Amino acid sequence: MDKSIFAAMPTLTPALGYASMIGLGLFSLALSYGVKTLLVRNTHDFIIADRRVGFGFGVGSVIAVWTWAMAVMMSSAMTYNWGLSGLFWFVVPNGFAVMAMIPFARILRKNMPEGYTISEFIEYRFNRSKAATAIVTVTMIFGIILEILINLKGTSVVVSTVFGIDWKIATIVGIVCVLTYSYFGGLWTSVMTGTLNTLMITVPAAIVVAAVYAKIPGGTQAVFDAVGAAGAKNLSVLRPDAAAGFGITLAFGLLAATVSDQTFWQKVWAVKSRDVGRTFLWSGALFYPIPICLGMLGLVGIAYGLVPADIGGDIVAIGPYIVSHIGLGLTLVLLYVLVILAACYSTIDGASAALSSIVAVDIVKRYFPQTSEGRLFVITKLSVLAGGIVATLIVLSGLDFTTLVLTTYALKTSVLLPLVLSILWPKTNMVGFVGGIVAAIAIGMPIYEMAGELVGTLSIVAISGLTVLIAGLVSRTDFDLSGLKRITDEVSAPAE
Amino acid sequence: MYALITIVGIVVTVFFLAGFWRGCKNAIAEYRAGSPEWGEVPDYRYGGIAALSVVASAVVIAGAGFSPAMIYAGPLLALVTAAGCGLAFFMEDKPAG
Repeated sequence: MDKSIFAAMPTLTPALGYASMIGLGLFSLALSYGVKTLLVRNTHDFIIADRRVGFGFGVGSVIAVWTWAMAVMMSSAMTYNWGLSGLFWFVVPNGFAVMAMIPFARILRKNMPEGYTISEFIEYRFNRSKAATAIVTVTMIFGIILEILINLKGTSVVVSTVFGIDWKIATIVGIVCVLTYSYFGGLWTSVMTGTLNTLMITVPAAIVVAAVYAKIPGGTQAVFDAVGAAGAKNLSVLRPDAAAGFGITLAFGLLAATVSDQTFWQKVWAVKSRDVGRTFLWSGALFYPIPICLGMLGLVGIAYGLVPADIGGDIVAIGPYIVSHIGLGLTLVLLYVLVILAACYSTIDGASAALSSIVAVDIVKRYFPQTSEGRLFVITKLSVLAGGIVATLIVLSGLDFTTLVLTTYALKTSVLLPLVLSILWPKTNMVGFVGGIVAAIAIGMPIYEMAGELVGTLSIVAISGLTVLIAGLVSRTDFDLSGLKRITDEVSAPAE
Repeated sequence: MYALITIVGIVVTVFFLAGFWRGCKNAIAEYRAGSPEWGEVPDYRYGGIAALSVVASAVVIAGAGFSPAMIYAGPLLALVTAAGCGLAFFMEDKPAG
């Protein structure tokens, strides 16, 4: 297949790029203003939506926050790099990670119905241990900042590549758009705009991918034949090098990314209790088609024999490159940009809403319990801006955020099993919980550095889990989770 | 196939937006009513459906390695995602009053 078919589109001007970013932001702002007027009166509404998020908004918003801008592009990139094995290992653990939340979500919602954050659960689970609570709070904050900056960075790269905008200006415009509307309505805004963004991700993605194949002479048959001719293993899902190269590590990382993420726990306590289980089931199952659909762009890259140098050196750009260079109409290219912007905005506003709950419950109410409702509401809203500003400064500084990525990875992976056991296993105690996390970081991370991702990840998970098990078996004391039902609402809605 | 996916996409968009509108009305009505949250987490069997969706996703991806027609399964299923979200709104109970 002749790759001279790919050519840059002259009509993709910077003005169109700004219009796309600002247009989606203004639309979300209008919705946010309506939400603020109709559904948000106090901190309780802002951070937990009065625990009235219904099934539809629950499903739509969980899918939206889980569909990162980078994931939209990575599904194509992994297929391009590893063939269908890459798509298999990228996709299968992704939906499973969302559904893996169900047992933990059901247990905590049942036993601690008036909770807000996972750090708050740890506080009461371990007798107000400052060490345990601080570790989890810091892990959640690091994770949120990382979510924001990765999505911001990914989107700015795409927008600058497609429209020729300076990536620093794209970063600033993007974050201003998201923070402006996130500031007003909190979680309600996040779930409503996120749900609409799910629509803006799915339908345009389907149309654009179908349009790309319609544009290729010979269509799917030609691509299928060319991919097979480039290497039969490209059409197999059983490549062991894909599993060892990134698949198994990614699977653990994704599990840690949901179970150790306040963005998801906030929804556990915000969705109506009767809908908690089915919300995460539907979200996980319905998430699957998104990366499967976009992954099919990676096959086009293989079929045409594109090499990284053709697309600017970074394989993550394979999807955007194909869509913007294969000769689609301007509307279709803009639809694809909308997919990435929707994924970016929904993940950032979800993360910002999660940060607001941490600031309100785990910082202000914990350390300054006498703070008035009025002042708490202002601080909570400002925290949305603070998280975005910090992430933006890190991106704009041009710093290599490998350290932040590694630190967050180490914390989240180390927290995974201790957190799971603290929910499922009554014998889990504070010594095991804190000791497991500290030992996993102290011993597991050096192993990770020396022996690579796979061995390192398995070591971190094993060390943290074993430490909790040994400490629990030694102490022989059981914790009664149902006792958490007595925990009262930390940020209860003031009487009207 | 492109034309079919576009037409189905438009239909699904209308269905989704109808569900979204219903969800908004329900949320506002419940907020105004101020009725307490139900507070019960019902037993819910999810293992079978969860396992089925994991296996189905793997089969769809593997299928694209056997038949070129399966490449279109991705776009078609993405429309199912949008339709599923819309359907979820219609499965909500209407607020009392």
